[in-house]
Amino acid sequence: MPVTIVVPQLGESVVEGTIGKWLKKVGEPIAKDEPIVEIITDKINIELPAPSAGTLGEITAAEGVVAQVGEKLGVILGAGESMPKNGSGAPAGAAPQGSAKAAPSTPVPPRSEVPQGDAPLGAVAAGSRMTPSAPMAGGGGATTMSAPPTPLPHGGEPSEDGQRLSPAVRKLVKENGVDVSQIRGSGMGGRVTREDVVTHLEARKVAGSAPGRAPAAAPPRMPAGTPGGPSPAPAPAAARAPVKQVPVPSYAAPGAREETVEPLSQVRKMIAQQMTKSKHTAAHCTVFDEVDMTSLVEMRGRMKEKVLRDYGIKLTYMPFIVKAVVRGLREHPILNASMTDTEVHYKKYYNIGIAVHRDQGLIVPVLHDADRKTLLQMAQEIEDLGTRARGEKLKLEDIQGGTFTITNAGMFGATASAPIINVPEVGILGVHLIEERAVVRDHRIVVRWMMTLALSFDHRLVDGTPAVQFLHRVKELLEDPENWLLDAI
Amino acid sequence: MTLPIPVAPAPADEAAVPPIPAYDLGRVPYRAALAFQRRAVAARAQGLAPDVLYLVEHDPVLTVGRSGGEANLRLPAGDYARLGIEVVDVERGGDVTYHGPGQIVGYPIVALDALPSGRDLHRYLRDLEEGLIRAIATFGLAAERRPPYTGVWVGSHKVAAIGVAVRRWVAFHGFALNVDPNLRHFDLIHPCGIRHLGVGSLASLLGAAPSRADVSARLAASFSEVWGRPVQLASADFAHV
Repeated sequence: MPVTIVVPQLGESVVEGTIGKWLKKVGEPIAKDEPIVEIITDKINIELPAPSAGTLGEITAAEGVVAQVGEKLGVILGAGESMPKNGSGAPAGAAPQGSAKAAPSTPVPPRSEVPQGDAPLGAVAAGSRMTPSAPMAGGGGATTMSAPPTPLPHGGEPSEDGQRLSPAVRKLVKENGVDVSQIRGSGMGGRVTREDVVTHLEARKVAGSAPGRAPAAAPPRMPAGTPGGPSPAPAPAAARAPVKQVPVPSYAAPGAREETVEPLSQVRKMIAQQMTKSKHTAAHCTVFDEVDMTSLVEMRGRMKEKVLRDYGIKLTYMPFIVKAVVRGLREHPILNASMTDTEVHYKKYYNIGIAVHRDQGLIVPVLHDADRKTLLQMAQEIEDLGTRARGEKLKLEDIQGGTFTITNAGMFGATASAPIINVPEVGILGVHLIEERAVVRDHRIVVRWMMTLALSFDHRLVDGTPAVQFLHRVKELLEDPENWLLDAI
Repeated sequence: MTLPIPVAPAPADEAAVPPIPAYDLGRVPYRAALAFQRRAVAARAQGLAPDVLYLVEHDPVLTVGRSGGEANLRLPAGDYARLGIEVVDVERGGDVTYHGPGQIVGYPIVALDALPSGRDLHRYLRDLEEGLIRAIATFGLAAERRPPYTGVWVGSHKVAAIGVAVRRWVAFHGFALNVDPNLRHFDLIHPCGIRHLGVGSLASLLGAAPSRADVSARLAASFSEVWGRPVQLASADFAHV
């Protein structure tokens, strides 16, 4: 039955509402309770939930129109229904899904009414039940179905006893004449797995029952009704008969391809969302450069003990890198910007996100106003942010307002990576393992502390030249820290 | 980075009157809060989160509700951008609203069925006004409604604006109470399209600005009365994320 959408009772004193935006178009599928149209009354905008599932058949109240409570706004069609004024009377036209389950009104007799083994062609819809003993040719026919959901292998049905089986399991079941309904599935959603069938077969073997049913009777490879099924061709390789069989070790016995299923954590869902959003919006491009970190390695080596002794802070390379990055961003402001469809927003503040690995999932706490902090302040704050991130003690403001991000894939040994931009930012710097490498200086091979830098930038906003120039600037600064750190500290 | 959504605590046994936690999130960029609200609504509608009252403060921003139009912006749209003020179209009802530092913006993300108003939308608006009026009254100010407008006034000064959206019968958006905002910023618009009434703040009416924490506590108390459920100020420490 088509369901009429009306302005519902929205309160004692609400008599009418203005139609806002239609959130669905005519012909669009609708789930029950999904918002379909906005109704505005006084200071409230309510998104009207769909009274039923189906497709939006008709809109009778246009946007901006004032409608009284109870007034008709449109019509939702059930599966297989069409607007009466079309008058074609062809019920199938509106429901290309071809699912008997979704369209109870289509003239498909329920399975229970179909005499077994005598199913008329076309009466068996996908997803209905068939026992393995029913004629295969009939099951696969489904001639009235406009679109069978899957090609049916071997003229067989896609489901056994309404169960979804993998092709391998289906084959095993068929070959052994197993009634799947007798097996309790241990797979996802109670699905019968290969392991279940094997266990079932073994149990059957042990029971020694059903002697009349030869297990593993040679499976017919072709549908029985196919004329002229070729007999197995003589093996062309017979001339080179093997001397030895390839040995099969015990561990190669068919085993359970085990899977476990866990719900996604809230954190993981958010990370997934953010990552996809980034890849779908930003035009990622990554450039790499090599930095000679030898001076900085030596400098930090001289500083770190004193810093630890005097301040109790572990001095890592990160504060130096942040300093260099902020300096680079000042000179190349486009990398500290963000964009809308029509505008560029240049940020005159430098909030540097630093990606932190946690067992629960990645998080990016933000070092705010990095341009106004000393090396030691930054060292302390970065350590604190990391600790609190891992201890789940971050506050909301700790993860907000970033303008550029640094991610350290080197922490676990990576020497290069192409990071994903933390949108709406437009740049992310990947820093990596600092290791001794053989490099050429003045025609001689020498050992230096080297690190790869990777800059992913949003090529929509940032051209290659400023990106490369920025990266090169960061490299220069890191290679020669004495020259600028004094006035930057 | 996206903002975390609090996960629903285990429902208490005395589920008759479940409390409504109130989190003061401090300064949150408007668009971030908007995205956050939309996710929070979805979470609430799916039963993944409890009813919550978020308190925030925004950087200067003009939001244009569904009944709004450029007519109530006093300057060409581009001028606001030059002043550093964003103009954002939003799905709530109502016209143009200004948000800025010195306001307590309240976003109750609540299932209407779990409030005294039920699905009576006007009642929900009146209850929001009532909560604000009672909180303001504790400062000795006679706050009142001015039908047919929605909002709260002290004398001829509007001190709180209201605009609400409902999705899957969960309310979002909410109210903005002027504690101590820069009142000159309101000259940038005709607040809510009402051109003949002025704007005031608790600070301008009291002569001194009460603290944000103080006002928040009074709001929690008054909404506890109005909604018949304990609104409890909680620390916005997202420990579960």
